[in-house]
Amino acid sequence: MSAHTALAIVATIILGTLAFGILAVKRIRMDPEQFIVGGRSFGWLLMWLLMAGEFYTTFTFLGAAGWAYGRGAPAFYILCYGTVAYVISYFMLPAIWRVARERRALTGPDFFVAQYDSRLLGGLVALVGFVFLIPYVTLQLTGIALLLRIAGYGTLNTTLAVGVAFAAMAAFTFFSGLHGTAWTSIVKDLTVLAGVLIAGIVLPIHYFGSPAGAIGRVLAAHPDWLTLAAPGAPNGSIWFVSTVVLTACGFFMFPQSMAATFAARDEDTLRRNAIFLPLYQLMILLVFFAGLTALIVYPGLKGPDADQSFMLLLQRDFPAWLVGFVAGAGTLAGLVPASAQILGAASIVSKNVLGEFGILRNDAQQTLATRILVVVVAALAFAFWAVAKQTLVGLLLIAYNGMSQFFPGVVLSLVSRRRPAPLAVGCGIVAGLAVLVYFSLAGTSGPAGLNTGAVALIVNAIVLGLVQAAIRASRVPALQR
Amino acid sequence: MWTPRLHRRTALRILLAAIPALALTLGVPLANRVEPRVFGLPFLLAYIVVWIALTPLFMLAIYRTEGHT
Repeated sequence: MSAHTALAIVATIILGTLAFGILAVKRIRMDPEQFIVGGRSFGWLLMWLLMAGEFYTTFTFLGAAGWAYGRGAPAFYILCYGTVAYVISYFMLPAIWRVARERRALTGPDFFVAQYDSRLLGGLVALVGFVFLIPYVTLQLTGIALLLRIAGYGTLNTTLAVGVAFAAMAAFTFFSGLHGTAWTSIVKDLTVLAGVLIAGIVLPIHYFGSPAGAIGRVLAAHPDWLTLAAPGAPNGSIWFVSTVVLTACGFFMFPQSMAATFAARDEDTLRRNAIFLPLYQLMILLVFFAGLTALIVYPGLKGPDADQSFMLLLQRDFPAWLVGFVAGAGTLAGLVPASAQILGAASIVSKNVLGEFGILRNDAQQTLATRILVVVVAALAFAFWAVAKQTLVGLLLIAYNGMSQFFPGVVLSLVSRRRPAPLAVGCGIVAGLAVLVYFSLAGTSGPAGLNTGAVALIVNAIVLGLVQAAIRASRVPALQR
Repeated sequence: MWTPRLHRRTALRILLAAIPALALTLGVPLANRVEPRVFGLPFLLAYIVVWIALTPLFMLAIYRTEGHT
């Protein structure tokens, strides 16, 4: 009975949102520019919704609570990095947008092609972006599966349910493109906000009288839980600072975030967004309250299971309709960004790899390839889901480690008068990836507690500089001759 | 174009952006303590929350120095 009620509510929320998104974009005629970057016409309100829609995902909903439950203070990095990224974005995004409009860039790799005049570099960026979007899609999948399992009260074939939900969202994305993502985000954000308020305010009040009461109990039971460990320790303060810096650099490097930037009507829209988006981060504070409440009331969850923390609490002690509503909100928070991520991953490979290098000869072939790739991305995310068994934060950090490697190339192309050679940028990216592969195979953490992605980013920048110096040194005599 | 006055403004903008960015990175370990608590939040968490709330003010100040209407 509980399962029927909860699942019916989840289904209503998802189908209602789909209908809203499809109705909202019915009148817009879709060409590629409309489809991928919304005709570059979004004002500040739609941009705000689009960006919030892409960044506040299942991860925010469950992963932040899971880390507050499982690790404590290191989870605070989630509050910091978005804010630092918005500060950087105030200066960076208008410049990116200008280039994109002049050169009619539609994807993240297009930006590299435009700035460095190198299809090869664009292809490399597309492939790396594709690979590192997979863990991000897996993150959404893991979250959705977890929510549906809880809403099913043990009655549901999770894999089937996730498959159906994914298919519905992929179909929706094809139909409406980026306009749909932005408009769906309105419903998504309002539902998620309500879900977060329930989890972050109602739960601590129910058990401890107030959020402060919950925190008091956590500190009484675990005095060190809400402060960072010694600088060099795992997840200590050196890790914390380097992770905030790394993830802030990677924030706008994701292909779907680049496309979101291109959708802005003008530069001013992007600046205004950068000013006010930090306030959105405060929502995460409520998610921490939910996770910390669960730590006391529902202790004993280990590893990835901690991601279920406050949902298990709701399931155990609250009525099914409430479980259904919160699970529905969380599912939406996974599906809307997942559709954008899947489409982003598929379109960069079909456009910047298969299209640019003449494997696909016309638009019809490219559309077909994009559709096939959508299925490939979803399948790879399923496979990664089955083998990785990571926490949601763990999955997110894998994606950020990879995406951040684009940062030096993007920034140097915008600020330096003499752009580095595409070869130097490419070598830097490859070197960064080699460092990531080394750390993941060796299974060790970075030196002095540094985030491994940050180490990779430093190596990336050094290699970029060395290769560029070598290229310049070999060119100068040639010019003098 | 590149008058000294504009130059000073550029420096001011960089400073205004750097303050919240540094507060939320290098500043965090310096605030790494539980007491004093602020509205029941441990000091570290309160510090981060206050800086996030202040960030839009710094960004708004930069926006103003750029003379947008």
